[in-house]
Amino acid sequence: MKLPSDSLNNMIAVKLFTTAVLGLLQLFICITVFAQEHSAPTHYNEQQKQIIGFEIARELRCPMAVNQNLFDSQSQIASELKGQIFLMLEEGQSKAAIIDFMVARYGDKIRYMPSLNSNTAVLWLLPLGLVIIVLIGGFIFIQPTLIVSKNTQDTSHD
Amino acid sequence: MIPEIGLILLIISSSLSLILSVVTVTGIKLDSEYLLSYTKPLATLMCFTLITAIAVLAYCFLVNDFSVAYVANNSNTQLATLYKVAAVWGSHEGSMLFWVVSIAVWTAFIINRAPKTEQHFHHKLVAVAALLIFGFCLFLLFTSSPFTRLLPDIPIEGRDLNPILQDIGLIIHPPLLFLGYVGLTICFAGAIAALLSGGLSQQYARYLQPWAVLAWVFLTGGNAFGSWWAYNELGWGGWWFWDPVENASFIPWLVATAMVHSILLTAKRGILGSCSIFLAILAFSLSLLGSFLVRSGVVQSVHAFASDPTRGLSILILLIVFSGSALALFAQRVKIKSAPLGFSLLSKESSILFGNMLLVVAAISVLLGTCYPLIFEVITGQTISVGAPYFNSIFVPIAALIFLLMGFAPLLKWQSSNKLKVALILAAICLTMALIATLMMQALFNIWLLIGLFSALWIMSATGLAVVQRVAFRKYEVNNGSCGSSIRFYAMCIAHLGVAVSVLGATLVSNFETEELLRMGPGQGKTLSGYSFIYEETQAVEHRSYSAIQAQIRVVDSQDNFVTYLYPQRQTFKTNGMQMSAAGIRSGLFGDLYVSMGQKLTDNNHLNDNEYLIRISYKPLVNWIWLGALLMMLGGLSTMFLTKRSLVNSAVKSRQHQELCNETA
Repeated sequence: MKLPSDSLNNMIAVKLFTTAVLGLLQLFICITVFAQEHSAPTHYNEQQKQIIGFEIARELRCPMAVNQNLFDSQSQIASELKGQIFLMLEEGQSKAAIIDFMVARYGDKIRYMPSLNSNTAVLWLLPLGLVIIVLIGGFIFIQPTLIVSKNTQDTSHD
Repeated sequence: MIPEIGLILLIISSSLSLILSVVTVTGIKLDSEYLLSYTKPLATLMCFTLITAIAVLAYCFLVNDFSVAYVANNSNTQLATLYKVAAVWGSHEGSMLFWVVSIAVWTAFIINRAPKTEQHFHHKLVAVAALLIFGFCLFLLFTSSPFTRLLPDIPIEGRDLNPILQDIGLIIHPPLLFLGYVGLTICFAGAIAALLSGGLSQQYARYLQPWAVLAWVFLTGGNAFGSWWAYNELGWGGWWFWDPVENASFIPWLVATAMVHSILLTAKRGILGSCSIFLAILAFSLSLLGSFLVRSGVVQSVHAFASDPTRGLSILILLIVFSGSALALFAQRVKIKSAPLGFSLLSKESSILFGNMLLVVAAISVLLGTCYPLIFEVITGQTISVGAPYFNSIFVPIAALIFLLMGFAPLLKWQSSNKLKVALILAAICLTMALIATLMMQALFNIWLLIGLFSALWIMSATGLAVVQRVAFRKYEVNNGSCGSSIRFYAMCIAHLGVAVSVLGATLVSNFETEELLRMGPGQGKTLSGYSFIYEETQAVEHRSYSAIQAQIRVVDSQDNFVTYLYPQRQTFKTNGMQMSAAGIRSGLFGDLYVSMGQKLTDNNHLNDNEYLIRISYKPLVNWIWLGALLMMLGGLSTMFLTKRSLVNSAVKSRQHQELCNETA
């Protein structure tokens, strides 16, 4: 029983396709982690200021409220820190600089997006590693040769 | 006197569950019909005593028996009757009792509806479920009895139900979620029963299938409704925050989704039985772990719920005993043989298998993110936060892979298919369209928008294509496949479509929400997304359980036509002085207008100190998230009820057909 070459071609197509997807996935994560860290201080217009300000407020934890971000929290300190963010944006500071300032003041706990360092490597790399293991493991376990034997069984049954 | 009856009933139930389990196991071992004939009445009796126990608790609430600690802590003479009943599951002890009662009811239902021909599987299932009930009952009796008395100092007035819970949400959300957990418990019992019977065969998977689907439907409802409730009630404007308590129920949902697909696969093709068993064990363990995280108070949550470290420890013990022994049994019994899998890389089976594995990976990632701050603090003594931005950047790419497979799976054939061209072309078209839409809609290229749009578009069109293919295929081959499998197919399409609708709603609301955070007082206004919000006046409102101040905000559209009034409130509860904000929302199919009222601003540099911090937003398509969940539930429910009926119908038909044949012969 020979393997139909058509399905073998498809198999290769699938492998290529999935590899491409996997590569894209890695790219996404790298982009999301590192892209934000390199934005130079500039002068923002009103709309940009609002968008970036809200974005930062969403990524920081309110020091007072139980697990709420600065944007959602209605405590006094949250209002003050929101004011601080906009003040710094007025000065033309970058998002990374503002977050660094807040971390320096309130510690690592204030950021909801943990930075990538030796302490948090597991947090970032384990999910990625598991996805890779699943995809590679799947390709290894589901072998084309196994279909051949199944196909012979099927034909013998029929 | 009455509460003691409840306690005694609970004790009787725990003894009954132990007896039930022992009798059934002995009956199976000795193959004694006589002993096994006791299973059904014992299970029914246990179900009855437990229902009576919870009815006693409800009675204590209704007559305001504040000598019962649980009632005194969670009720009040002022509380509306409906909430008194709902308060039964409003806090820890009662909700655990509700959980146990539901397991007993579900078990009794299963054993009473079990087919006559093969009962050993069902007997084993009942024996395992009875052991689980025994464990839960001991947990209730020793650490969290809902019938504990406050004697002799009986309070005159109860402490009142947590104000956040006094909402329609309490009546619907917790029971749905607990029933979902109960369903997972039943699936766990079924998986263990299958392990004891030599693996999950196709027939056993068929028995389990409706229960797994039902559990998943309840869990879906519980999660979606919880999110809807938080959106409406908490006043922080979000519909999902990746809070530990949200994750605690979302993680089991992810694994339950994988479990349902795996059991359906086993039922249809008779393969990957051990995978289904493992997923069932995992889903149940994660639901217990979730309960531990929520109830022990080890995590900080915005949805803080009655928490107490001692209960946490007991739940942890239950978790270790149940899951540990289940996994040990699994390790001993499971046959890992390198038998031919019987399907190729390009088949429906493998896409479902990959999807399931990715769902488990997603669940593990979310679990890791939820527990990481805890683990980190224990190891290093420092505190960090892991929150929404992290979860989004990890979960969304994994979810995108799952959605990709979700589109392919219905298009592929069982075992092996080689017609991928159409699907790939369709995927390319969807990707192009999503790319164009992304570039048109926002000035800056936004990868998240692209992923979301593509996923929604791809699932919808691929599901549509699968329907078209099936209809076209049906024309040529009439007598192939039962009516049941056809219904199951369309139910699957509805559920998948629901996912697409939810994804679309979530994508649009997170990328196109417009909002303003500003100080507002009477006479001021603000324009947002073509709507003008005009603050008219501040009013004082008296309610039965709270007094509130509310802003009356008139909304007009761009042509100055009146749209609606919105009334965001800041409520102060009379019984405990707790403050809450309730949002003013006008829901529409294509978007919500949302206003929430913050604290009063009293700066000295403003003359008018009657100003409040007001948050205004326009949330496009936010309701689609929950609409999608309703579709998913509808899809799940229709597989359950319709296929059952159609199976009966087809059985009747085939019998008639046979009789006809006999007559003609």
